[in-house]
Amino acid sequence: MINEQLAEFSNLALVVAIVLFVLALIGFGADLAGTSQRRSDERLAAKDRAEKGRADARELQAASVGADGAGAVGSDVSGADVPETDVTEISASDAAAVDVVAADAIPGDGTGSASGGMSAQRFAYLLAGAATALLTLGVVCRALATQRVPWANMYEFATTSAAVVMIAFLAFSLQRRELRGLGTFVVGPVLILLLLAQTVWIVPAAALTPSLQNSHWLYIHISVAIMATALSILGAVVASLQLLQAKHESGLAQKIAAGEEHPEHWGRFGHVMDRLPSSSVLESLSFRIHSIAFVTWTFTLIFGAIWARDAWGRFWGWDPKEVWTFIIWIIYAAYLHARATGGFRGSRAAGLALAGFVAVVFNYTIVNTVINGLHSYSGL
Amino acid sequence: MDEKSTSTDTAPGAEKNPSAGERASRTEGAAGSWSSKPEVDGRGPTKAPSLGLRGTLLFLWRQLTSMQTALILLMLLAIAAVPGSLYPQRSVNPGLTDTFLEENGRWGEILDALGFFEVFSSPWFSAIYLLLFVSLIGCIVPRVGVHLRQLRARPPRTPSRLTRFTGHTRVELPGAERDELIESARRILHRSRYRTEVREERGGAVSVSAERGLLRETGNLLFHIALVAVLICIAGGNLTNYRGQITVIEGDGFSNSLTQYDSFSSGAWFDETDMPDFRFTLADFRATYVQPGESGKVGEPRSFEADIQVTAPGEEQESRTLQVNKPLHVKGASMFLLGNGYAPEITVRDSEGTVVAEGPLITVPMGDTGYTSQVVLKAPDARPEQLAVVGFFMPTGTIDDQGPRSLYPDALDPQLALTVYQGDLGLDSGIPSNAYEVDVSTLTQVGGEDGSPVLIRLYPGQEYTLADGTTVSFDGLRRYAAFDIAHNPFEIWTLISALTAVAGLVLSLFIPRRRVWVRVRPGADGAVLEVAGLARSDDPALEGDVRSLATTLSQAQDGGRAGTAAIPEDRPSRATDDSPEGSAQ
Ligand code: HEM
Repeated sequence: MINEQLAEFSNLALVVAIVLFVLALIGFGADLAGTSQRRSDERLAAKDRAEKGRADARELQAASVGADGAGAVGSDVSGADVPETDVTEISASDAAAVDVVAADAIPGDGTGSASGGMSAQRFAYLLAGAATALLTLGVVCRALATQRVPWANMYEFATTSAAVVMIAFLAFSLQRRELRGLGTFVVGPVLILLLLAQTVWIVPAAALTPSLQNSHWLYIHISVAIMATALSILGAVVASLQLLQAKHESGLAQKIAAGEEHPEHWGRFGHVMDRLPSSSVLESLSFRIHSIAFVTWTFTLIFGAIWARDAWGRFWGWDPKEVWTFIIWIIYAAYLHARATGGFRGSRAAGLALAGFVAVVFNYTIVNTVINGLHSYSGL
Repeated sequence: MDEKSTSTDTAPGAEKNPSAGERASRTEGAAGSWSSKPEVDGRGPTKAPSLGLRGTLLFLWRQLTSMQTALILLMLLAIAAVPGSLYPQRSVNPGLTDTFLEENGRWGEILDALGFFEVFSSPWFSAIYLLLFVSLIGCIVPRVGVHLRQLRARPPRTPSRLTRFTGHTRVELPGAERDELIESARRILHRSRYRTEVREERGGAVSVSAERGLLRETGNLLFHIALVAVLICIAGGNLTNYRGQITVIEGDGFSNSLTQYDSFSSGAWFDETDMPDFRFTLADFRATYVQPGESGKVGEPRSFEADIQVTAPGEEQESRTLQVNKPLHVKGASMFLLGNGYAPEITVRDSEGTVVAEGPLITVPMGDTGYTSQVVLKAPDARPEQLAVVGFFMPTGTIDDQGPRSLYPDALDPQLALTVYQGDLGLDSGIPSNAYEVDVSTLTQVGGEDGSPVLIRLYPGQEYTLADGTTVSFDGLRRYAAFDIAHNPFEIWTLISALTAVAGLVLSLFIPRRRVWVRVRPGADGAVLEVAGLARSDDPALEGDVRSLATTLSQAQDGGRAGTAAIPEDRPSRATDDSPEGSAQ
């Protein structure tokens, strides 16, 4: 039986979460805009300081190796495992010193730039965290209200995916603070997804149709598909930024080559781009996300085939949904190949990753609603 | 460019070169040289063809097996699959294809001629994936050879200058013992699963050359080989499988032989004698639907259950309940519950009083939520003329200005709405006809009691007599279930190949492949330690690992001499630019 009150509460939680996401988006946006106020000569100065700071940090490190060496008389070599220790961790105070220098020098970290109190970024990050918690609560309540997993129609699939994207983003950027600068570009798409879910795809809480019952593959296949979708969204965000950043970098490089002392490119948006990691950092991040996404899509495909075999008696039948999942998989395979092929690395490969994402979106929207197939579970 | 991702592998031949490392850095950025692939050895795909037929063929072969071709073929395959989802495919839903053809006239014919309704068996689609797999095999075979040799080879020599490599660290260690230092370096690396090789060098130096992550390439090869296996298994399955549809009314039985199927298809190598001899009776079929007042769309199905008594060869009879997603497996066959409907029991007597049709009749649901179902009954034995009864069965019926239709799928108020025709049914013409269709345009309608045209409305237990004395009665109601019976002997092997592919893929994507070198030279009063690494795949952790190895080694060496310094000499690399967190991972 459906618990209607809980279902209503779930809806309410989602609506409030959307409001919080809007605020978080404003916060992230304000943070980026704030940075773009600074003029480019300030940036140059900051870069200078950064260079100096890094040199200092290096001396600190160097010294600390010696110092620690001194402290570790007769320590057992075999006790130390190679990949685990790290130079910057050698002494707490030294490490802290490095951190401080880095914090105000590195453009990716907003926490150092706040003039007292909470920075816009930190504020936005916390808001996004609260919104994600509420969103997750809403999804969980939906599950409790229907006494099943909340993945049975487009609305539920979208809200769960949004929660996974946000959780993944928050988790990634908990450690790597420089990624928090990407907040705008993650919260934005998530908000679009949630708004679409809340306005177009929303359906009342209901029990499962027979084709979704009696099968643990519902849990396995769909949860993996949700993860794959979430990773594709994140990957597409990073790949788009990588493309923009590459354009921006080459624009700046041209100006520098032309002898400009304070090169400006793309005005205020250019300053925003300056805040973000370089295109090669974004490229390797995009690759890591996409390679996990590819593995997840592979599992989606295999588990889907196993389920199709139980439900329809054949593991593959070129149903439109199957076709599009196949297309997604092939495009991402092409992306991974492109990274290893001359003339396709970098921007062209990123283009393929985005093509893969377009296929993901198509598979989710058009195939579910317009094209007639066996996977007619949109609930619309 | 990212130094980590562009540090190209050297060709296997070059590994014997004393300055392999330097060569590696020189090829850095050389457009397109992608690791350990044979092309890099100078048989690049862009090389001009040598003269003659043989040369041309060789050139074409190299083109086909190049990475670029694989990439293009993959994209073509993705694009070619698109129309398969946009146009109704014959193999998926032939009815939709026919409708599309009727509606689109000439355009439809052109598309049909081009194979757009059988995309996945069309020549162009097949050509793409066959080329892709030829390319794949042509690509794997030489790589397996190269890789096997590499697995047996010792780690390559330490490059003479380490300064250009990732995480390069130089530490002066006064009073350090050269051999002891090297031995602990070798031990540490070995314990971290590196393959190591200690070599004496000129000038009293000694170095450890260590390598890790050959499993990456192993995984990559495994992945691609498993893909070929998947394709072979799918082809094998297509040749040997069979699949058929049956409809069974409650109380009736089925035994597995070709004559019992409504439709049946099988692969070219399928052998009828392989079909297992199992039989079952359908004891009961139950369905539940969303009732008014419950959440969800009223009339939407909630559950389907078919109780069967099944006897498999050599086994006791056993009771089973089949559901959607819960098929029955016997050796050599699986049976899936895929559909259901109503079978009203109808008796027809002709004007002479002879029973010309009797018993449950399978009706075909028209696809609405209410399960309005089509009735077609043919009575060729009726006299003086053949009879046909057509109309609708409605589990919860109503007849209003929209005509006869059912409001709810459960049999709450079952009714029949029928019209009776007489004339020549055309069954003797020799053209096979569909049991569920009849052409009434050549027949004449039989009038009601007063002779006027009539739509007979019957409830269970009722009988109706027409003007000429023909009677139709609705005696009772049963349900039927539709099952697919199928078997694909290669299914399990397809699954195993696919899972092997994933295993290979995971190794290939997430195992970093790298080299690490440690060199100790005699110094002024002790030894000079140098450590550096080379990433041969995305490997952000390498820099940290190299540095911590340097730290560990210098710490381990009798720590009494404060003031020793490790001087990182690397050019500022991304990893250090990045953030303190980045390198601390
Ligand atoms: C059936 C179609 C194919 C699929 C689905 C496929 C898929 C993949 C995937 C997902 C990867 C990524 C794994 C990794 O980066 O290590 C990969 C890598 C690779 N593939 Fe394929 N592949 C196919 C055909 C081919 C063909 C025809 C060739 C030969 C030209 C080839 C050569 C390679 C190579 C050399 C790599 C390693 C790239 C690297 O160094 O990162 N593949 N393939």
